[in-house]
Amino acid sequence: MLRLGRQTFADDQTLVMAIVNRTPDSFFDKGATWAEEKAHERVASVVAQGAEIVDIGGIKAAPGVEISAAEEKARVVDFVARVREEHPGLVISVDTWRAEVGDAVCQAGADLLNDAWGGADPELVDVAAQHDVAMVCTHTGGATPRTRPFRVEYEDVVRAAIDDTMAYADRAVAAGVREESVIIDPAHDFGKNTFHSLEVTRRLGEMVATGRPVLVSLSNKDFVGESLDLPVGERLIGTLAATTACALAGARIYRVHQVVETRQTVDMANVIAGRLLPARAIRGLQ
Amino acid sequence: MTAHSVATGTAAAVSRIAVVPGVLALLPDYPSRVDPVADLRAACLEAVRWVGAGGPVRVVGDAQGARVAEALLGAASVPVSGAGDGAAGVLVVANGTARRTEKAPGYLDDRAAGFDAALGAALRGADAEQLTALDTALAGELLVGHPAGWVELGSLLAQLPSGEWAADVLYDDDPFGVQYWVATLSS
Repeated sequence: MLRLGRQTFADDQTLVMAIVNRTPDSFFDKGATWAEEKAHERVASVVAQGAEIVDIGGIKAAPGVEISAAEEKARVVDFVARVREEHPGLVISVDTWRAEVGDAVCQAGADLLNDAWGGADPELVDVAAQHDVAMVCTHTGGATPRTRPFRVEYEDVVRAAIDDTMAYADRAVAAGVREESVIIDPAHDFGKNTFHSLEVTRRLGEMVATGRPVLVSLSNKDFVGESLDLPVGERLIGTLAATTACALAGARIYRVHQVVETRQTVDMANVIAGRLLPARAIRGLQ
Repeated sequence: MTAHSVATGTAAAVSRIAVVPGVLALLPDYPSRVDPVADLRAACLEAVRWVGAGGPVRVVGDAQGARVAEALLGAASVPVSGAGDGAAGVLVVANGTARRTEKAPGYLDDRAAGFDAALGAALRGADAEQLTALDTALAGELLVGHPAGWVELGSLLAQLPSGEWAADVLYDDDPFGVQYWVATLSS
């Protein structure tokens, strides 16, 4: 069983986590949901499309103008509270590395802290434990939040991703986060060049074999763009191909911009893998 | 097609007959998240429970039909009888044509609707004569499910005088261009 705050999910269930940015400058949507009403519309839309989780972020991952904790809270805390009120059954994740922000959003109703920067703030695990919420433990190779990889190399990137995320997961459990509420994420493109992200994709089954639920965040990222020589905005098909590879390997949670396309891709891959029944099969069986 | 022979002496004891179609989607081998034949399955199980109420049930069907029967009987916890055991209940696995529409497995054949209408009338009327006289060659062309089963049903019904059997049709539809009936016949 997987427990994400208020909600629990069976071990064979895959989950779609829809990205909702409270930023004016994220790489894919470029501020499309910066206006609060637009962000609420986005939440309603992805819920209608079947997303089980929304991942609300107040700071873009790439370098840029520094956003203080106070500003980050101003962007996300009240927003989380309203989403909680309007969508009581929805799993609310917040993409933050700061314990102070994590504490505030959990009080406002968050179920999951998605620490995309791999434990940069050591107190985040304590916040998750205090509020009995879930955590995503990512691998960044020790990168400082909001930095790009520059000449990073690994002896074995998959080994590093497994060792670091499992160590972080152990730290979360030791701090009091429930075993069934800890997720690991190899973090494509974070502290990684395209070759690293491709290797992580190719060998994702090794992370799945740890037994911890694996989240993948592939959506429209640079490793897709560099693989196909396509700019942001033309990476959906490549994203979905990478999604298929991860789904066949057994990834559980998919952090995405495009919910409908991802859900179909993940379901198709799992039907092929024999982990999910066909929706309604009658051809030749009438 | 060869009709299954009916052993004299055992057939006389038959008092309950159920008819179900040999739809492979009824098998546990082919599960879906949403059952494409939920209504049909419910009707089949009702018929199978009814025919099994008096004890073990003998199955009349081809190889695939026998598997369907076994699955339905198993789901209803009804034991299967051997051919010569003199079971009072018989489960016939057979259906109408598979050529009723352009989307049907066998594509549209204009003769299908009339064939099914006649077969359906024979079933509803428990008409032994019509069933035993079934045109099995045409039935083959129209992809009827187990024509020999219909003929054997006629032979079973002929064991009693005309009018002794009452048919109750629980399901009559062609959701995929294939004609299905679920029926119970009691004497």
